[in-house]
Amino acid sequence: MQTSDPLSATLAALADPTRRAILERLTRGEATVNEIAEPFDISLPAISRHLKVLESAGLISRGRDAQWRPCRLETQALKSVDAWLEYYRRFWTGSFDKMDAYIVELKKKDEKK
Amino acid sequence: MSATLADDELLITRTFDAPASLMFMLWSDINHFKKWMGPEGFDCPEAEIDFRVGGKYRGMIRSKDHGDSWFGGAYREIEPPNRLVFTWMWDTGPSGEVETLITITFREHADGKTTMTFHQSPFISVERRDSHIGGWNSLFNKLAAYAARHVQENRA
Repeated sequence: MQTSDPLSATLAALADPTRRAILERLTRGEATVNEIAEPFDISLPAISRHLKVLESAGLISRGRDAQWRPCRLETQALKSVDAWLEYYRRFWTGSFDKMDAYIVELKKKDEKK
Repeated sequence: MSATLADDELLITRTFDAPASLMFMLWSDINHFKKWMGPEGFDCPEAEIDFRVGGKYRGMIRSKDHGDSWFGGAYREIEPPNRLVFTWMWDTGPSGEVETLITITFREHADGKTTMTFHQSPFISVERRDSHIGGWNSLFNKLAAYAARHVQENRA
């Protein structure tokens, strides 16, 4: 998938429920590929592909120890996602405030009939 | 930062003093939609809604400070008056071109008020995913056709 900016890459990485579940597992501490794959009903190569996407997006880093390359969550990328979500949260909350006021307006119009 | 990543998807729950049928219309009727879309300081001067499954919508919000911002998407599930699912994407901006999926449910209570749950998360569209599958299908078709041709040529 072509993405033009780091935030888009991060969001695209997060758009998959398996990858979100992997990240959630890593919030409990670093883990090897096998440990990560264990609860999923997916092949190890498929898990590895997901890990590559997460690594490209800067969401995880992988240790260099050839024996057991642990994966670790990298929080910097998540901070930009947090900001993105906060933007949307403000946008929708503000819109729903207007929605509330509009409903009051509609009811007033109805009562006048 | 949120405690778990599952929480990182945007979820807003809010109760309005209106029946579910009206709540649904606020999203589906273009005249209503333009009256509330956009936070304070923004207008919604442009909107088009083709309100059916697979139909598209498009709109623009405008403010003095931020100018014009275009958005759009397509409807995936429409179950009046309780459930509405559609994609949402900004044309431009820091996450422009990242599609999100919005799922809205309305639950009317005995007192005539309605609780709306609004959920939004980043989304890989089924079309984009399936275009991958389409690529494989056409390759296998070509291989099958090629193999069939070879059998015929060998017989000739």
